[in-house]
Amino acid sequence: MIATIIDNNMDRIKADLVNRGLTYDRLLDDILDHVCCMVEEQMVAGEDFELSYKHVLDTIGDKRLPEIQHQTLLLLNKNFQRMKKFTYLFGLTAALVAILGTFFKSMHWPGAGMLITAGIVLVIFVFLPLYFVINYREQAEKKNPLYAIVGYLTLASLLAGAIFKIQHWPGAGHIIEASLVILIIGFIPLYVVNVFQRAGKRKLSLPYIVMLLIGIAIVSLLYNVNMSKNQLDIYRNEAIKNESCVDNVQGRIAQFMSLVNDTAYADKKEVVAEIHIQAASLQVMVDEMKDGLLSFVNQAGVPIENVRYIDNRGAGRDAILNNGKGKKFAMVSREYKELLDELIKDPVTSSQIEDHLEFAGNVWSFEYSLHEIKKDPLMKNYYKLTDASKGIALSEYIAISTLLHNHK
Amino acid sequence: MIANDLLKGTLRTIVLKLLFNNGRMYGYEITKKVEELSEGKIKLTFGALYPVLHKLEAEGHIKIDVEYIGKRVRKYYSLTEVGRSWSQQKVDEFFDFVNTLTYVLKPTPA
Repeated sequence: MIATIIDNNMDRIKADLVNRGLTYDRLLDDILDHVCCMVEEQMVAGEDFELSYKHVLDTIGDKRLPEIQHQTLLLLNKNFQRMKKFTYLFGLTAALVAILGTFFKSMHWPGAGMLITAGIVLVIFVFLPLYFVINYREQAEKKNPLYAIVGYLTLASLLAGAIFKIQHWPGAGHIIEASLVILIIGFIPLYVVNVFQRAGKRKLSLPYIVMLLIGIAIVSLLYNVNMSKNQLDIYRNEAIKNESCVDNVQGRIAQFMSLVNDTAYADKKEVVAEIHIQAASLQVMVDEMKDGLLSFVNQAGVPIENVRYIDNRGAGRDAILNNGKGKKFAMVSREYKELLDELIKDPVTSSQIEDHLEFAGNVWSFEYSLHEIKKDPLMKNYYKLTDASKGIALSEYIAISTLLHNHK
Repeated sequence: MIANDLLKGTLRTIVLKLLFNNGRMYGYEITKKVEELSEGKIKLTFGALYPVLHKLEAEGHIKIDVEYIGKRVRKYYSLTEVGRSWSQQKVDEFFDFVNTLTYVLKPTPA
C-alpha cells in the first residue's frame, strides 16, 4: 500500500531532487532510495504521504544536495585529491625550510637568509595559490572567487613584507602597509559580509582566519619587537669605531692642554680650560650612561665586542631615561654648544662644530630621540651615546685648535 | 551525541565493519544500523555517508548489487575481497588507536 503510493510519486520525487541540484546519476539513485525510505518510515508511523514528504524535504534543505554531490565528486576526482595532498605536503616542506632558516639565523650560520627567502617565496608563489584554488573548488555553493583572491593577496603581501623586512631590502615598510590596507579594506569587510550572509550556516573556513592571524603575528613581531642581529652588529662595529676615534682625539686634546700651559698662550688658558672642563663633564655623563646600559644586563666591564644581550629593550629606559641622565645630558650639551657658538666666530669652523654637535641642536636632538631610546635595543642606544661622545670630542678639538691657531 | 569531529576519521572504518558483519546493506539501512548500534549516539547523515561509499567503491573496497524496489533502484553495498582484508586491518588499527588513547588519557592515580 505505502509502497504503491510512493511508487506513484516516484517521478515527482526524482524531479524535485534534480531541481535541487542533484545531477550525478549514481548519487541520485542512492539519495532517491534514501528519501523514499525516510518517507516510508514516517508513513508507517501513520502520517500521509504529502506531510511525510514535506518533512523529509525540510530536513534535507535547499543547499545540502549540491554540497553532497560536490563532495562526492571531489572525493572521486583523483587529480584533485593528488593536488590537495601535494599542496599540503608542499606547504609543510616550505614552512620547514623557512623555520630551518630562522634556526640558522639564530645560530649565525651562513645561508640563513637564503633558506628563509626560499621558504617564503615557495609559500607565496606555490603553496598559497594552490591552497586558495583548492579552497575555492571545495566550496559547494557557487562560489565567489573574490574571497580566494583577496585572501591570497592579503597573505602573500604580509609574507612578502616579512621577507623584505628580514632581508633589509628597501620597500619593506610600503609592502607591509599595502598588505594592511588590503586586509582592512578588502579582507575584513568581505569576511564580515560573509558571516552575516551565512548566519547559522557553515562559515568561511577557519584556516583563512588562522593563517591570517599567523601572518599578522609574524609581521607585527618583525615590525615592533626584533631588530635583527645583523643590524645590531653594525651598530656595535660603529660604536667601536667611534670609541677609538674619541680616544685618538682626546690624545691630541691632551697635547693641546699641555701646550696651553706654555706662557705664550696665557691669554687663552682660561677659555680653553672652560671648554675642556665642560666637554669632559659631558664625556663623564656619556660614560655613566654607557656603563648603566651594560650593568642593566650584567655586562659591566665586558669589552664592547663581547657584550651580550645587545637586543635588550629595557636598558635604555633604565640607564638613560628614568634616572634623568639623558635629559640632563641633553641640557648640558646644549649649554656646551652655546659656549662654543659664543667663542668661535669664524663661520666655517662654527659650521663644522655645529655638524659635530647635531645631537645638541634642535633638528636631530638627543632630547628629541629620548622617547625612541626607551624602546630601542641596547646596542643602538650604546651606539648613539658613542656618536654623541665623538661629536663632543671632535668639536672640542676643533674649537681649541682654532683658538690656539688664531693666537696672535 | 558524539561530536562530529571525533567521528570524521572513523566513518570509513564504521562502514567497512558494518558491511563485514552484515554482508550487504543499502545506504538507509547503514544509517539506521549505526543509530541502533550506538543507541542513538551516532547519527550518520546521508550527506556524510554517500561520499564515503562512493569513494570506497572507486577504490575497489566495496561493490554494488542493484535491485529494483518498485520503480526505484536500490543499491546494495558489500565488501570486495580486497575490502574484506582491508576492513579487518582498519578495525585492528582503530582498536590499537583506542587502546593507545585509553592509555594516554587514563586518569593518573593520585
